Amino acid sequence: MSDLNKLSITEAAKQMAAGEVTSVQITEACLAEIEKRNPSLNAYLEVFADAREQAQTADARRAAGESHPLLGIPLAIKDNILIEGRHASAASKILGNYVATYDATVIAKLKKAGAVFLGRTNMDEFALGGSTENSAFGPTKNPYDESRVAGGTSGGSAAAVAAGMALGALGTDTGGSVRNPASFCGVVGLKPTYGTVSRSGLVAAVSSFDQAGPIAKTVEDAELLFDAICGKDPLDSTSIENSKLKIENYKKIGVPRKLFEKGVEPEVLAQFESALTKLQAKGYEVVDVELPSLSYALAAYYIINFAEVSTNLARFDGVRYGLSQKGENLFDDYARSRGEGFGAETRRRIMLGTYVLSAGYYDAYYGKATAARAQLRKEFESAFTSVDLIATPTMPYPAWKIGEKSDPLAAYLADIFTVTANLTGNPAISVPMGTVLRDGADLPVGIQLTAAHGNEAALFAAAKQM
Amino acid sequence: MISKEEVLNLATLARLKLSDAEVASLQKDISNILEYVGQVSAVSNQGPTLDQGSSRSDLKNVMREDVPRATDNVMAGKEEVLRSAFPKREGDFNVVRKIIQKDE
Repeated sequence: MSDLNKLSITEAAKQMAAGEVTSVQITEACLAEIEKRNPSLNAYLEVFADAREQAQTADARRAAGESHPLLGIPLAIKDNILIEGRHASAASKILGNYVATYDATVIAKLKKAGAVFLGRTNMDEFALGGSTENSAFGPTKNPYDESRVAGGTSGGSAAAVAAGMALGALGTDTGGSVRNPASFCGVVGLKPTYGTVSRSGLVAAVSSFDQAGPIAKTVEDAELLFDAICGKDPLDSTSIENSKLKIENYKKIGVPRKLFEKGVEPEVLAQFESALTKLQAKGYEVVDVELPSLSYALAAYYIINFAEVSTNLARFDGVRYGLSQKGENLFDDYARSRGEGFGAETRRRIMLGTYVLSAGYYDAYYGKATAARAQLRKEFESAFTSVDLIATPTMPYPAWKIGEKSDPLAAYLADIFTVTANLTGNPAISVPMGTVLRDGADLPVGIQLTAAHGNEAALFAAAKQM
Repeated sequence: MISKEEVLNLATLARLKLSDAEVASLQKDISNILEYVGQVSAVSNQGPTLDQGSSRSDLKNVMREDVPRATDNVMAGKEEVLRSAFPKREGDFNVVRKIIQKDE
């Protein structure tokens, strides 16, 4: 009974349904682990004082006859997803005292299912980064080696799941923010098809890229969470009905090997090749695939990221809510509130976004980036007429040392494999594919599978073979 | 490298107060990053666009009637919560600075 926090969601649901354990017991096991490990890992920014009460409510709902696979399952929630009445800071000082006034649609769905919210998890401020080092509240550490990053931007959620401080978690993925920390922490992370999961109640980073997604210990668990949060929502006009394709005979995997020519660590590539061999043994066919515009993906991604970040974050002005600093005049009020409220990386991206959207530069940067995005999308659509899945390593290397990537451009280059799915809107999953040894620690690395729009089923089917 | 004046102008446009040290480091960072992302200049403008062609059959205008809806009006009954977030409050009002000011 002492290891209830280590259960998968699927296993916990089975045991609760059989009356062998209660939500209170599982929740208490998670809380005990949080008490033990969170002070050093810094995965949770806040643990909700009423978690045990929520679990009692879930147990009472079960006693009254309700059943749902997520009923009574304790989850960790990223700090940029609104839960009514609770703080949601997006790990920023500018929202440090912000209390959510409504539930995000994904939260409303999880509440209906009866999930328990353990707390809110650390992240890169406003989901800008890839290591959770850009949090205003300090970095999250990797459970496998505490001198290393947990990945990001959903680093707190991934570390919480990996360390047994939650059975599963929600993150958000703008350019890999679910998949990157899943790879670094050895767990499963899904970025759903753009529009499949409502963005209502998410703190906006890059609206044309953002998607909430599950972080879990197993592929089955990720699928359960995905099924619970997806669906068209009148509160998000970009949301679409999940096509829920269930045909699972998707057996052809394309590999864009040209992309691996530089920058990928050899040991990661070796793990990747052995993962492909494993899939081949299960009946999958592996072929090369050409995606010429991939070489522009990272540049196009960052231009669009900067542009949308600078416009989305214009709403934080210290007038209606959030950090408010008084200056000499109105301009000064804005500039001081924003200068002090935003962290260094956020300020840098706002500046870059302002630049690429300026008259005179717009066509050369934003215009070209959207053209590259359209071309890439077309190339992916045509690739998915001949292959069912596209496979790459999720990250070119394992988790790096905290502080190692102080040059912002060096950190951006780590996102080479993950940004594409956000540019094209395709669903992508990261699944553990093994470990590589660094300084005496076995560090997890993940394989990323991408599928055609709406074909999460193909991702789950292949990922279950890993 | 991007000039100090350009960085200061961007900071003004973006309403950000920056320290001198940050202005200097941004000159370097912005230049490096722009040099990298500038490789998109080789992308053709003649290709497909995001709002054109059958490849985006899923993209269409989303319209609805402009009527109040109780069922999904997430802010209904939350007025006091919104007011309590005001940085400076008098009664039910948010106190803001006078917008029209004399030029200094």
